[in-house]
Amino acid sequence: MSDAVLEVEHVSKAFPGVKALDDVSFRVNRGEVIGLIGENGAGKSTLLKILNGVYQPDAGAVKVDGRPVRLLSPRQAFDSGIAMVFQEQSVLSTLTVAENIFLGREQEFLRWGLIDKRRMNAAAAVELKKVHLDIGPATPCARLTFAERQMVEIAKALSLDSRIASDITILLDEPTSVLESREVELLFSIIRDLKARASIVFISHRLEEVLAICDRIYVMRDGKVVAEVPAAEATVHALHTHMVGRQLHHEYYREQRQSPPGDEVILRADGLGKAGAFRDVSFELRAGEVLGIAGVIGSGREELARVLAGHAAPDAGALTVHGRPVRLAGASDAVANGIGLVPAERKVEGLVAQFSVAENMTLSALGRFASRGVIRFAAERAEAARWVERLHVRTPSTAAMTGGLSGGNQQKVVLAKWRIAGVEVLILDHPTRGIDVGAKEDVYELVRDITADGLAVILLGDTLDEVIGLSSRILVMRDGAVTATFDAPAGGKPEQVRILEHMV
Amino acid sequence: MARIDLQAWLPILVLAALVAVVSLYDPGFFTIANLLEITANTMTLFLMAAGLTFVIMIGSIDLSVQSVASMASCILAVFLPTLGLAAIPLALLGGVVAGALGALISTRLRIPTFIATLAISGVVLSAGFWISNAQSIAITAEARDAWLGWVTGAFLGVPNEIWVGLVALAGLSALLQLTPFGRLIRGVGAQEQAVIASGVRVERVKLWAFVISGFMAALAGVTMAGRLGSGSPTLANEFLLPAVAAVVVGGTAITGGVGSIWRTFVGALIIQVVRIGMTFMGVSVFVQQIIFGILLIAAVAATMDRSKILVVK
Amino acid sequence: MAAQGLAGRAPRPASAMAQERRRAAAGGRLIEQWRRWAPVVVLIGLCLVIGAFNANFFSTGNLVRLLNSAAIPVVLCMGATFVILMGSIDLSVEGVVALAAVVASLLVANDVTAIAIGHLAIVPALAVGAALGFLNGWLHIRLKTPSFMTTLGMGFVGLGIATAILGGVTVRISDQSFRYLSLGRPLGVPMAVWVAALCVVVALVIQERTRFGRWVYAIGADEVTARQAGVPVERTRILAFVIAGVFAALGGVLAAAQFGQGHALIANGRLFTTIAAVIVGGTALSGGVGSVLNSVIGVFIVVVLANGMVLMGIPPYVQQGAQGLLIIAAVALALDRSKLAVVK
Repeated sequence: MSDAVLEVEHVSKAFPGVKALDDVSFRVNRGEVIGLIGENGAGKSTLLKILNGVYQPDAGAVKVDGRPVRLLSPRQAFDSGIAMVFQEQSVLSTLTVAENIFLGREQEFLRWGLIDKRRMNAAAAVELKKVHLDIGPATPCARLTFAERQMVEIAKALSLDSRIASDITILLDEPTSVLESREVELLFSIIRDLKARASIVFISHRLEEVLAICDRIYVMRDGKVVAEVPAAEATVHALHTHMVGRQLHHEYYREQRQSPPGDEVILRADGLGKAGAFRDVSFELRAGEVLGIAGVIGSGREELARVLAGHAAPDAGALTVHGRPVRLAGASDAVANGIGLVPAERKVEGLVAQFSVAENMTLSALGRFASRGVIRFAAERAEAARWVERLHVRTPSTAAMTGGLSGGNQQKVVLAKWRIAGVEVLILDHPTRGIDVGAKEDVYELVRDITADGLAVILLGDTLDEVIGLSSRILVMRDGAVTATFDAPAGGKPEQVRILEHMV
Repeated sequence: MARIDLQAWLPILVLAALVAVVSLYDPGFFTIANLLEITANTMTLFLMAAGLTFVIMIGSIDLSVQSVASMASCILAVFLPTLGLAAIPLALLGGVVAGALGALISTRLRIPTFIATLAISGVVLSAGFWISNAQSIAITAEARDAWLGWVTGAFLGVPNEIWVGLVALAGLSALLQLTPFGRLIRGVGAQEQAVIASGVRVERVKLWAFVISGFMAALAGVTMAGRLGSGSPTLANEFLLPAVAAVVVGGTAITGGVGSIWRTFVGALIIQVVRIGMTFMGVSVFVQQIIFGILLIAAVAATMDRSKILVVK
Repeated sequence: MAAQGLAGRAPRPASAMAQERRRAAAGGRLIEQWRRWAPVVVLIGLCLVIGAFNANFFSTGNLVRLLNSAAIPVVLCMGATFVILMGSIDLSVEGVVALAAVVASLLVANDVTAIAIGHLAIVPALAVGAALGFLNGWLHIRLKTPSFMTTLGMGFVGLGIATAILGGVTVRISDQSFRYLSLGRPLGVPMAVWVAALCVVVALVIQERTRFGRWVYAIGADEVTARQAGVPVERTRILAFVIAGVFAALGGVLAAAQFGQGHALIANGRLFTTIAAVIVGGTALSGGVGSVLNSVIGVFIVVVLANGMVLMGIPPYVQQGAQGLLIIAAVALALDRSKLAVVK
């Protein structure tokens, strides 16, 4: 009865502090191309990880051909007929095309214990034909273009076709982000051909493409499936509307404390560019301002933040601080120029877990707490205590190990570190990631405190809501370019849909 | 965290237990004179290991320490007659240069430290041979009395080597516990990326760690030359493994961030007592090598913080 | 109808980012070519320079000498290459060589034991190498200690066992047919060279035609992807160390045959030469790139350099220093450092 090749039924998955998937269901029928869209944090990547066997659902089931399957590893998922083609390619350059296609499954070609290359190459050639890829199976993958590598990955997925009993589903995760238009067309024609052999789930933030190739589209938001639309009846605008839709909570983001920025320009970017990431980014940052940068993965905003924090060097353009041109050859240069980064990976780049609270807080300003080569421990303790009180950091003492604090309190320690160091610009990269709701509000208060003190903030928010609610101005980036700028004064915030239009 | 507390006391308890065991076997072991002599003999190993502690605490390794010590002894022996006291700083400078080169090669060229220092150890070994013309060079008794009395004599009934060791212990401990540099050593070892992101110039921290390691290795070479009365390009052969073992057995983890000079002091004594104890108990000198190898692996495995390593290569 | 393909709309501007990423990839291809041919170029260059300095370099006698010097290092490098291709390192070479040499020397006709099993002695010697290699791999996997530490410790253990067995004595081998393994000269070429050539062929087959060989490359290039594809990572790692142990043991047997002695010192300096040769030959320390053939070239570079230094009258103790500089230069030029965010 069932035409369904792949079914996800009432799947939920929670992590400490956040419900990533909440009762998600969808189905893929034979020969269909399903689109899966949603904002950052909507739950797409968690869902993909479950289908790929990396995570297991807390509740609900995954069914292939109507039978429930337990996917405990990527290999198991693959052997069950679910093949994933990653956004970051996983083709190994030093191996040949054939070797990549059959990686881990070479026993099919063994003769007297040795791999029969001729047979493997011949088998690979068969798969390559299915994707219309005109390259020799013995070609080392280092020589292939991005598009060709993607085809190899698809060929790898298709090689399941004649080898397992069930139907195959291929999951394409943002397959077009590295492709040119010509190559996208080629990919689409291949996908249309593939419909005879496999079903496809197409995940992308490029809504026009999703509409062009998919039969049905599922929209996710906040861990739920909020809409299922046949592509024939959908428009980009309608999809946008489904993707957003939460009421903006003005108080949640302490909008009432948002003040207009001052006059003084602290930081200026002119035509900043980094090969392969972003180009021609220009803006002015004033004291007391919160500049939010909105964009999906691949928009270039994360790389922009790294460049502004000095962790990577730009290939083009200039940066000036208080009118002085600066060259940031490393994070130490950035800090010396008053720019601090509150990183997304708090435990890796934000804090030394084994250090005490006081030690972490003074890490960027050690010079000030030493005299004649020796650390002034009492002064350090006193300063740390002051900030613990001021930021309401919940810790047994300033000597407690930072690794033992909760995520929210750890983030406060990071913020204290930069306040003590006296930076003027704070770059917040996903500052509320992994923090529970109550602590998030604390962080928003702190952002208002910071700007009230005259610092400027560049914000890469976790969600579009957060960016809109906190920022006084918003830069929207897509595919490496700034596509729009919005003013977001308190009481006059732009609509999410309008911003989304420029993001995806 | 209970694990750290146990780690703090375990080495000392082990040392006490070892001394007790050997003393039971041979009561003559447990006399002041004997214990002082053993401690004095341990000092050269301790000096080398103390410098190495800084390097291991930042998660790196310095495989050149024994070649540096040998080279320093050659420099000392060769230049003592002509330069007198100045030969000592010259020998120490050799160690500093070797250490700095190892650090620079590693940080600038982004080469893992074990390769960089392995390569440097080859270069330094050749340098030692070249300086000494491939032979052992004796230090005359007058030269020794004149310039190396601070190594060979005794003060207040305690052999000078112990005083030198104690000064090193105090000085390096202060450096590690009380100065910003010392804190950064801990930080870089524990979470290097966070220290970088905090604006610290981490290459400089690494450079100084290796400079200290080279300096102390050279100091070890100088004291060894003083005690043995000669310098030679292979003087410190067989010291690398015990030096690394002393640091690790004392409780400093190679994953970095945890450690102290005191621990290395205890670790060096453990190594020495094990060595002597084994000899007392009739275990052949050759088997001792095996024991040390096993000890090294076991100590590393016990002290490592595996949560920090995603993929072990 | 919405699903009319993109032809109905204005074509999306060719993504500038895609073009830039493409340019970066093209650069990567150039680097790949350079990596493949640089060692050969260096070797030829070296030969020409030394030959210009001293024409004796090209004499038959010297060439045979070169081949002979290269034989044992080549054997050692065959095993070491697999370990380094995986991104690990094996510092225990000297210990295995010493132990295998001692074991072999005690089992053939010698002046210490009454045992004389002739060529069969090779088997226990190789078994010892395999055992030490297995311990290397197993401890590394189980204890999760980095390979450089584990193999450093095991190397000392091996050396220790070798010296312990001998108890200070040097074994003199009297079995001439055993010594033929190194000293014999079929067709005028030393037997050791033939053995080494056979090792290269075997290693090449393992590398290219066995699943293990392919998996070693996969693990070295991207362990996460390899694991996801179902490659048995732990088993492969252990096997690589076992193979390295076997090749190292074979090297020890050849050394014992060559010197006619069983003594731990036989292994001195070999670690350095082995690592230098593999790296200089173009196999990347980070793994995933290189080949046993690269290591053969690397051995010849090291051996020719040493030979050249002798021909140019440079004292022998400068060798290690020169090799050290060579390693640094080779790694610096390897151009794969971008992969390492934090170098320890």
